[in-house]
Amino acid sequence: MITSPEQLAEYRAKCRSAQTLLRPRLLVGMATCGLASGAAKVFAALREEAALRGVDIDIVATGCKGACFLEPLIDAVIPGKARVTYAGVTVEDVPDLLDAVLAGAVYAKRALARETAECLLIEDCAEPYPADANLEGVPAYDAVPFFHGQLHLAMRNCGYLDPTSIDEYIARGGYAAAARALTTMTPEQIIEAIKTSGLRGRGGGGFPTGRKWESCRKAHGTPKYVVCNADEGDPGAYMDRSILESDPHSVLEGMIIGSFAVGANQGFIYVREEYPLAVERLRHAITQAEELGLLGTNIFDTGHDFTLRINRGAGAFVCGESTALMASLEGRVGEPRAKYIHTVESGLWGKPSCLNNVETWNNVPVVIQRGAEWFAGIGTEGSKGTKVFSLVGKVRHVGLVEVPMGMTLRAVIEGIGGGVPEGRQLKAIQTGGPSGGCIPAEYLDSPVDFESLSSLGSMMGSGGVIVMDDRTCMVDVARYFLAFLKDESCGKCVPCREGTGRMLDILTAICEGRGEPGDIEILRDLATVMSEASLCGLGTSAANPVLTTLQYFADEYQAHIADHTCPAKVCRALLRYSILTEACTGCAACAKVCPVNAISGERKSPHVIDETACIKCGQCYEICRFSAIEVA
Amino acid sequence: MSGTTTGEKVTFTLNGRQVTAEPGETVLSVARRLDVHIPTLCFHESVSSYGACRLCLVEVFWGKRSKLVTSCLYIPYPDDRIETDNARIHGVRKLVLELLLARSPHVEAIRELAREYCVEVPRFRPSAVTADATRCVLCDLCVRVCAEVVGQSAIGYAGRGSERVITVPFGEQAEECIGCGACVFICPTQALSYEDIAGQRLMKELNTSVPLVACRVCGEHFATEKQLAKLRERITMPDELVDVCPRCRGTEFTRVLDEALVTKPRV
Ligand SMILES: Cc1cc2nc3c(=O)[nH]c(=O)nc-3n(C[C@H](O)[C@H](O)[C@H](O)COP(=O)(O)O)c2cc1C
Ligand code: SF4
Ligand code: FES
Repeated sequence: MITSPEQLAEYRAKCRSAQTLLRPRLLVGMATCGLASGAAKVFAALREEAALRGVDIDIVATGCKGACFLEPLIDAVIPGKARVTYAGVTVEDVPDLLDAVLAGAVYAKRALARETAECLLIEDCAEPYPADANLEGVPAYDAVPFFHGQLHLAMRNCGYLDPTSIDEYIARGGYAAAARALTTMTPEQIIEAIKTSGLRGRGGGGFPTGRKWESCRKAHGTPKYVVCNADEGDPGAYMDRSILESDPHSVLEGMIIGSFAVGANQGFIYVREEYPLAVERLRHAITQAEELGLLGTNIFDTGHDFTLRINRGAGAFVCGESTALMASLEGRVGEPRAKYIHTVESGLWGKPSCLNNVETWNNVPVVIQRGAEWFAGIGTEGSKGTKVFSLVGKVRHVGLVEVPMGMTLRAVIEGIGGGVPEGRQLKAIQTGGPSGGCIPAEYLDSPVDFESLSSLGSMMGSGGVIVMDDRTCMVDVARYFLAFLKDESCGKCVPCREGTGRMLDILTAICEGRGEPGDIEILRDLATVMSEASLCGLGTSAANPVLTTLQYFADEYQAHIADHTCPAKVCRALLRYSILTEACTGCAACAKVCPVNAISGERKSPHVIDETACIKCGQCYEICRFSAIEVA
Repeated sequence: MSGTTTGEKVTFTLNGRQVTAEPGETVLSVARRLDVHIPTLCFHESVSSYGACRLCLVEVFWGKRSKLVTSCLYIPYPDDRIETDNARIHGVRKLVLELLLARSPHVEAIRELAREYCVEVPRFRPSAVTADATRCVLCDLCVRVCAEVVGQSAIGYAGRGSERVITVPFGEQAEECIGCGACVFICPTQALSYEDIAGQRLMKELNTSVPLVACRVCGEHFATEKQLAKLRERITMPDELVDVCPRCRGTEFTRVLDEALVTKPRV
């Protein structure tokens, strides 16, 4: 049991000497992304090899550092030496890697980067590593393009510790913020600190966290609740999953501090159905925190009681919306309701409830420990701190990226992301999840923060960033997102239920060559009624993909509607396949592959495609070795 | 500052007039009291508000900022300035009605409302994904009346988004349904109906039939078994009245029944 900051410090000292000083450790990235790239095999091979050799070495599973394109990732920590990260490690590498680590050396073949200091979330946070000649060829983290400019606050522990070990979390400075907040600050002081820090909600809306806590503290009614939104419904965004899988205690610690600040004794974590590993990690973390007395009654001997429960999501995107989430938590249908009385006043079971996103809660210990002013010094005027983005799509380095707010899109996509592969052109960047917007390449120098993204018609959302190249049709993109939103609309209110369907109809028609000149006006009208009249945020933002593509790529809509062409050559119904007589050698490969026998011609002389029979499958284009098939 | 939680009367401005709302009273209720017309579709005074049709939207102004809110749910704050009709509101209601008319072109109530807002023919093409030509607009009134007034909760939803439909549990023969017809009565679009045939009350759209009781005196079917059972749970009814239809009960019996009805309040 830990009942005072002093005891926590003692415990931390014990944990640190236990893990770092005795023997080498290998940490294998085994979050969902690592597992998907074969980390489990490498992990098993390492353990087997180590057992075979009978060597004294720790091999543990850790979380995700964000460099998902480099998985499997392994960190090697050798007593008295710098932490080295290896990337793309395969089973074949295992013997050599072990040899190197046991010899206190570097396995150069897979070495990616080295850490320059051990960073902990306590007062004197960075302990520099001693110089080491072995490491000369290994770049420092910041010299690796993917990590250059990144600042890992939310991801501070991701990939650095065994997420099933509370001792390792404490060793890295964990629960020190909770100890400080509960034993040296009043609830009002904590709220003031969160306000001063400028922390805003990371779940999409960007609401100032301190103000939310203050309203909840001041709200009449007991009991009060704190809730963690881990529903993460945006397809393609997975930072919440990664934090929960890699560093579950950070969220618990944030919630302990929050519960004390708003005056809640009960908390809930609402986790998306599809995240079984996150649930397992959370369960385990809660049990451990209870065993040490960090959850339960009389925490840090302050008289504050706090218990946490996990709830599984109902599997719908809309359940991430605050009122729907609370309805679902109460066991009712996960459907939004009007929020004219805010959930901080009347939320779960009609009681004051403070709901924050995973990344928001996870940032709280940072604010407390490093100080509100320090935190407020990072980022822009209106957006403080960092944000984790999931960088996906047509970009070289796919992964989770955490950067200070206000970094330009260019630095994120070209610098960290390595730009668009294969010499293609960047066309647009979609941010904010399905109901975000598409920003054209011209705006690459815009900063990434709440205000800038909104002013471009898009949004921060939960931090999804999808990079699109010149082979992307923007009308098709709008259609894709509307199809998602139409399926996810709960169907309660008319503008969203009917409007998303009508929009999808029109976009589908345009993509299939049935667009009409009046369609754009109808789309705009639908956007108006959806954004003005829908009940919840899903409906009010559902038109964003259409509005931003209309704003920035109007000519593409025009080409589809007026000329019946798809400039990006994506919309199949609008493509026309023909054979260039000059290039055709009459090899007949295309005629053989055409599934509807639309291609005819004499052997060794140019062939022709019967346009009326052609189903535009593109197989002739793929097979022709003489570039004789033209697509227009 | 909030009038919504303090249980006090609230003074605000409605269309330029100073008006007062009772504690917890919605803008729609205040407007109706004062004969200010606001169109509604999913509202009925016998059940709670739901906020689905969005026709009752009004605009609230605070200084330079303003927002559209549903008047059936919005409880005014002191000094709110509220307009119940203006160009913005009109435009949005018109578009909502265009969507509704496209869904339910045969429903007279919707056609009439649409005409009021100059919508004659919706501009949309036939849809592949939205329900076309269904009478049900998913206003939720049947769901609420069954749950809140009848106390049976026999009706709910299946599907989500454009697939959403009204249904009974598992889609057929709902044990909870007593065949009282409250849903049929409250439905603003005649999407629900019932028919008494062969000793059964058939709730057509709900795929449910409920046995009828024949009058001991005249032999006519006059109510369902479950309806009478429910009635007996709630009011003391002389045994000799139970299986006699209202017409045969005679004035004296009717008086007895009426008395019983008024003296024993609803649960
Ligand atoms: C349709 C919809 C889906 C949402 N999904 C999520 C989600 O998956 N995770 C989340 O944290 N917030 C989600 N939100 C935002 C929440 O409603 C809420 O604003 C947020 O959880 C508050 O926490 P924060 O202030 O820390 O961001 C969603 C909102 C809407 C309208
Ligand atoms: S806006 Fe869409 S998701 Fe939200 S309540 Fe209305 S129908 Fe449901
Ligand atoms: S009457 Fe208010 S939303 Fe339908």
